[in-house]
Amino acid sequence: MEHERGKILFFDSLEIGYSSGRMRKSLLPPIRGNGLEGELVAVIGKNGIGKSTLLRTIAGLQPVLAGTMSIDKRDIHEYSRIQLSAKIGYISTETVRVSNMSVYDLVSLGRFPHTNWFGKIDDSGHEAIADALAKTSLNTFSDRHITELSDGERQRAMIAMVLAQDAKIMVMDEPTAFLDISSKYEIMHLLHQLTRERNKTIVFSTHDFNTAVNQSDKIWLIREEGLLEGAPEDIMLKGAFKSLFDETKVRYNQYDGSFTVNSIEKGRIRVLGDGEMRYWTEKAVVRAGYTVTASESELEIEVTSQHNPRWECRKLNDLYEFGSIYDLMSWIRNSEVIS
Amino acid sequence: MEKAGIKASHLIISDRLRYNLIFTGLAIIILLFFLLDLFLGSVSVKPKDIIDAIFNNSENIARTILVKFRLPKAITALSVGIALSISGLQMQTLFRNPMAGPYVLGISSGASLGVALVLLGFSSSMTPDTIRAFGNWAIAGASWAGAGLVMILIMIISGRVKNIMTVLILGIMLSSGISAIVGILQYFSSETMLKAYIIWTMGSLGNLTSSQLNVLMLSVLFGVLISLISVKMLNAMLLGENYARSIGLNVRMSRVIIITGTSILAGTITAFCGPIGFIGIAVPHVARIIFRTSDHNVLIPGTMLAGGIIMLISDIISQMPGSDNILPVNSITALIGIPVVIWVILRNQRYSEIF
Repeated sequence: MEHERGKILFFDSLEIGYSSGRMRKSLLPPIRGNGLEGELVAVIGKNGIGKSTLLRTIAGLQPVLAGTMSIDKRDIHEYSRIQLSAKIGYISTETVRVSNMSVYDLVSLGRFPHTNWFGKIDDSGHEAIADALAKTSLNTFSDRHITELSDGERQRAMIAMVLAQDAKIMVMDEPTAFLDISSKYEIMHLLHQLTRERNKTIVFSTHDFNTAVNQSDKIWLIREEGLLEGAPEDIMLKGAFKSLFDETKVRYNQYDGSFTVNSIEKGRIRVLGDGEMRYWTEKAVVRAGYTVTASESELEIEVTSQHNPRWECRKLNDLYEFGSIYDLMSWIRNSEVIS
Repeated sequence: MEKAGIKASHLIISDRLRYNLIFTGLAIIILLFFLLDLFLGSVSVKPKDIIDAIFNNSENIARTILVKFRLPKAITALSVGIALSISGLQMQTLFRNPMAGPYVLGISSGASLGVALVLLGFSSSMTPDTIRAFGNWAIAGASWAGAGLVMILIMIISGRVKNIMTVLILGIMLSSGISAIVGILQYFSSETMLKAYIIWTMGSLGNLTSSQLNVLMLSVLFGVLISLISVKMLNAMLLGENYARSIGLNVRMSRVIIITGTSILAGTITAFCGPIGFIGIAVPHVARIIFRTSDHNVLIPGTMLAGGIIMLISDIISQMPGSDNILPVNSITALIGIPVVIWVILRNQRYSEIF
């Protein structure tokens, strides 16, 4: 199928893994996939399945064991180290900790492929660095030492370095691991922006299933049997995400893509009420291991939100009243033990 | 975006100004201490006579002392300071280990082994005079090879062991092992050669013949040139191997270049002045404190100047002006360097940072 946008990254019959001397250890059966310009690709899969190895292979840090890997229409083997670095930027999970290194120094190292033997940065280089700092909202941080940054700021500085590198493809290994929730969204927002505004192709691995499904244009799902490629929704419909979880322990909801921890069904509860009050009460009921039912049942909860929210729980003919979901659920758990 | 550009260029200018001021200051200090080193010594010569000797070609004792003894010694001190400090800086960046230095990691021992092999091993039937014929370049070359070999070993160890302290302990083991080999060589060598070797190990800045000084200066110059062309590689190496490669560094070639330069610098000094400790490990940290940067464009000249100054000071102290005694320069550098090293260890207790 012909696409308007260029296929900047493409691999076929690719085997990834380790090789030392004559020993070769391939992690996966041959895989195939591609990335278009301006596309945000999320790589997901279980721990140790080969996500990092695939990313490192794309970045040219690990050899292609078999098959082809083409970067911007040329085979990866045709690139020298420095030519490749002008095409692909890479951020690993390793954090850079060098004391006395300013953010500006770090970002200027991204100019490495574009400077002369002595690393002299010319005017266009300074411009690129300033632009990278501005894009990552680090303008006021340029003389700060990187050891004084928070995790989120340091990750932004790394992204700025790769931006200064001016590569079309950015490969990132778990860019949001170890970040607090607000930094996590900030980084994801930034990556999304870079694909849209700068036409970057960003391939990132993540353990955060929701981020992958909600933010990315494409998912590379890595399983023992290989790589499955598609829009998050395509993969959802194929039910392939199930492979990520042990189905005896985790239940997967085909409709909203959510997962819940399996527990032995304890009974049925009917929840009456409206709106978000009812929605969250049902959530709590499900979390406690009950099934929500629409028909009459032994245990019924009615939510009322006039003035103060109240939860009325009817068990057989007794009526109990609670002021919070927490109290309600504590009572339900207690009464289980008694009965 | 415009604002960012202004901010960034403003930063660069102010930093450059600060660096230039410090460089100028250090250059003045180094000149002062160099002159001081000429004026002071165990034989007290009137400053007037020294000035006389510098500007007039009069043949007198003052001139002999100056030209034959003090000037070569001051030049040696300067070269030693420059060479050991840069080699220490390069090792710290190459191994990403703040505790790296030619002495502690056994690089000097490696160089000693090279020298010992020439002096003791291959020449068990020779006299010290034949060694002269062997040439200073042979000794220098042997020490380069010895230093280079240990550097490669440490490189391999550092690739496998990430813990800085473990690398350090292995370096000490390596250095003890090499000493053991030298011990065996000593046991089997002739008395005269043994004596020549023992005198060499005591180390000194003042025992160099003029031809040795030439070899030393040429080698240090070559080593400094290599380090000046390694600046960009060293900066990239700060990021660690993976990032260095991903931004385009040819890691293998860079390592060869940096190891070559470092081995020449550390090896040469060890070959002609004996093992001088704690300059290589301490001075780069002093330079980092002064300049507050990790950029080798600044750190290389910075460590050169700081190392030169500290070595000149050590030399002046070791001559104990006004006294006939000459203290071993090794002890002086240790007493100056060790507090710095202790400070670095205490500051970096958790080793959360590489430098």
